[in-house]
Formats: sequence, structure tokens, C-alpha cells
Amino acid sequence: MTFDSNAFLIIFTGALIAISCGFLGVFMMLRKMSMTGDAISHAVLPGIVIGFFVSGSQRSLEVIMGAGLLGILATLMIEGLRKKAKVQLDASIGITFTLLFAIGIILINLFAYKVDLDQECVLYGEIAYLPIDLWITKSGLTMGPRITWLAGLNFLFVSGFIYLLFKELILTSFDESFSSVIGINAKGINLALMSMVSYTTVSSFESVGAILVVALLVVPPATAFLWTKSLIPLLKLTSVLGILIAILGYYLAYWLDSSIAGMMVTVAGVFFFVSALIKGKRPSWLQGTYKAAKPFGI
Amino acid sequence: MISQVENPVLEIHDLTVSYDQNPVLWNVDLSLPSGKLVGILGPNGAGKSTLIKSIMGLIPPTSGYVRIFDKPLNDVRARISYVPQRESVDWNFPASVLDVVMMGTYGKLGLFRRPGKKEKNLAMQCLEQVGMTGFVERQISELSGGQQQRVFIARALAQQADLYLMDEPFAGVDMATETAIFQLLKEMADSGKTVLVVHHDIHSAMNFFDWVIMLNLHLVASGPKELVITEDLLRKTYGGKLNLLTKVTDLIRNKDFNPLKS
Repeated sequence: MTFDSNAFLIIFTGALIAISCGFLGVFMMLRKMSMTGDAISHAVLPGIVIGFFVSGSQRSLEVIMGAGLLGILATLMIEGLRKKAKVQLDASIGITFTLLFAIGIILINLFAYKVDLDQECVLYGEIAYLPIDLWITKSGLTMGPRITWLAGLNFLFVSGFIYLLFKELILTSFDESFSSVIGINAKGINLALMSMVSYTTVSSFESVGAILVVALLVVPPATAFLWTKSLIPLLKLTSVLGILIAILGYYLAYWLDSSIAGMMVTVAGVFFFVSALIKGKRPSWLQGTYKAAKPFGI
Repeated sequence: MISQVENPVLEIHDLTVSYDQNPVLWNVDLSLPSGKLVGILGPNGAGKSTLIKSIMGLIPPTSGYVRIFDKPLNDVRARISYVPQRESVDWNFPASVLDVVMMGTYGKLGLFRRPGKKEKNLAMQCLEQVGMTGFVERQISELSGGQQQRVFIARALAQQADLYLMDEPFAGVDMATETAIFQLLKEMADSGKTVLVVHHDIHSAMNFFDWVIMLNLHLVASGPKELVITEDLLRKTYGGKLNLLTKVTDLIRNKDFNPLKS
């Protein structure tokens, strides 16, 4: 087989997105907040529509900012419902993201005459069109596919974020009250992580879509956690899985003439179930928190 | 029976704490001297954990204030350390014993800086103090309850604080470990640190603590052990539940009776 530059670009972009999502997903999983990622990926829709409406373009900074703000709003709403209104975490996630997503759909319908944006594009995305969507500078220079640049930029931001705040992210994930006592702002770190998730979601929308972003946030970290119990190998294994998923997903989709993003997530799911079978024990997110028996107090 | 002291390490003034309008601590007013091993005693639900959580600002008080080293909490965070209840974290977290102990050094490091050789050496020293040097690389999910507790104490030691607040560090810990940890806490107190321990076993409390705080929603007593552990005050703290217990206490007091030896 000769070198196919289109195939390479699609796999390369897919891998970048899968690694960015996987890195963030590891910390979401350790915080038991994987489903908050799901909520954010849907809740950013109104932000995208408003950003689109304000700027008139699907690929403007306003769209990313709108989505980022809505992601933070969703996080705050989930926390607020849970702490102030005493709603269960899963219920407050369900309420928040369906409400925000519904508002997004109404906004799309209201602005439909002005906005070239449909739910399908947001929900499913299409990475196969990537090679024909080029970034051309004002002087007419062709810089290559726009989405690959977006994914690369996103990858740099996510890696930088995790590198710089590594110890804070670990500590606030492991023991939030201890981190507050020693003066590390757990709430601020949490919001920063959620903003990164919102930004990654938006930046990956066009290529893999909202539903599949969620899968990339949750499945590779959960798979890797079946194989290792230390953090650095966990991050490494998650990125290797991301690359494998992109390669296998592309070629299987090519072979079956089907959706690349869909196939990537199917491959991820297969990896997970094979790992779960091989490791032969219940995955850790089913075990719940270990509770030691306490002696009876008097 | 509440003894106030001059130049207190910790001063709690008229503290009331509530969860959803329901006060769980009423008008706690006390001060503590430095260099003492202090026990907080009381029945379940007496507000012992709530008291230390509000000292550290984890739960905002409804009224009253706390001053530590005669300063507000935010000015002295670096000098305070905390050992949370063992069950408050998920021990399946992917970290080694050394990783967790190093967390104690994060506060002094500040944002963006990574722990280096100095922090690692400090963490190793602290692990040695709690007798866990053999477990440095061990995953925390593979530790027993008593070992988890010792890791938490080592993490607090790594903070090199002056005031330590410990929430039930002896829950689910065997006798030998309990004695060893108490010995360590005593050494810390002797070197001038103040150690505040939530505890519910009255017998070991009599042996080990210098100063005792008795709590049952209200502050019942706070003072040197000899003055505070009396039947009257114990009864006030534990109410009717103490009947059996007082008998045992009396026996131990009067006859130097040791049930483990007879």
C-alpha cells in the first residue's frame, strides 16, 4: 500500500483528539466525574449557537468562548444543585445537560434563518471531510487541513495544562479537603479542568461530534485503569490506546465504508470489553469506594 | 470545667456551626496551650469531626471565630496539618505510598513547582518515623487499614506544621499500631507541636492525652486530663450510655485492674 496522505491526516487528527480527551478523561475518572464530561459536551450547545450568532461564523473565537462559558455554567449548575438543593449527583447531571441542550436546540430553530448549523453536525461530526477543509491564509498560502491545526492546538493546550498543574490535579482528585486545608484552591482547579473539557469538546465537535467525544473521554481511561494502578503508566497507556483506536477505527471504517468516528468508538468499546474479560475482575468503577468496618462507638 | 490559657495556640470563640439551619455545635469557647497532646472525646454525633473541620475552615461557622497562633486561619495555613478520616478518600486511586506522602509537601511548594530531591528525602524521613519504609513503592490500594492510617500521618508530618488536627486516626487500627502512633504523637508534642486528636476510646485517652476536650453538641469540658476526666463530666458527655463504662473506669482506677492480663 502506498502512503496515503489523506489517511495519515485523518488518523493523525483522530489520534490527537483521542489523546487530548484521554488525558482529561483520566482526571475526570479519578474524580468520579466521567458523566460530568458527558453533561458538558451537550451543555455547550447553546454557547456554540450564541457564539455563532454573534460572530456569524462557525469557526470563530466567539464560538469557543461561548462554549467554554456554558461548560463552566453547567459545572456550576451541577455542583449548585447537588450542594444547595441536595439533588443526587446523577440527577443533577441529567437535569442540567438536558435543559441546556434543549435550550440550544430551541436557539438553533429560532435563528435557523441565519445559522448554518444543524444538530446532526454537532452530534455526529465527520472526520472524513477533513482533507478538503483547508486553512488558507490571506496571502493564499495553503497550510493544510484546518481541523488538524485545531486538534494540534488543543493537544498542546491540554498537555501544557496537565503538565503545569499536575500536582494540584492529583491532590484535588485524591483528597479535596486536604488540598483545601493546605491552601490549594480545589474549586478553582476543578473549574479550570472543566473549562479545558469544554474547550476540547468544542474543538473536537466538527470532527468527531458530541456523543463520540464523550466516549473518548470515558472509555480509554477506564480501559487503561484495568491494566495499571499507577498514574504515569495510566496516562501513557491511555495515549497509546488513543493512537490504536484512531488507526484501527480508520481502516475498519474504510473497509466497511462506514463512519470513522463511529468506528473509532466501537474499537474503543471492544478494547474495553476485551480488557475487562482478560483482567477477569469487576472494573473499578463498579466496585465503588472501599469502606472499612468501624468499631462500634460507645 | 473549662480551663482557658494565656497565649493560646488555638482560640475558639463562641463557635456555633449548623448544617441546614440545624446547629450541630453550640457556643464552643475554648483555648489550648502549645506542646500538648489534646484529645477530643464525645459520643457519636457529638460534633467532634465538625469541630476540627470548622477549625480548618472546611465548614463555615454560623457565628463565632477561630484564631490560630493569634492569627486568622488564612495567614497560617502553612503551619496547620490535617489527617482526615481514612474512609474519606478512595484508596483505589492510582498512587504509591511515596506519592501520597509527597502530597504533604505540595502546600509549601506553591503553584507550578514540582517536588524534587529535597521533598523526596523529607517524605522518606516521615515514612521512617511511622515505620513504613518497607512500603515506599507499594500501591495504596494494597495497604491494610492501619498502614493507610500511618501513610496519612506521614503525609501530615511531611508538611512540617506546628498544629496537627487528626480525625479518628485510630479507627480500625490494632492495639500495637495504636500504641506506636501514640508514642510518635507524644514525641511530636514534646518537641513543641500541638496535636489535636478526635478519639472515642476513653481508656486509651486516659493514658495518652495531656489535655482533654469533652464535647456533646455543647462543650462539656476542656482542660488538663487530671482535672477533666471525672465521673461527673464523663456522665455529662456520654449521658446514660456511660453506665457500663463508668463501672469499668472505676475498676481500672481503683484496682489498677488490667482485663488483658487477668
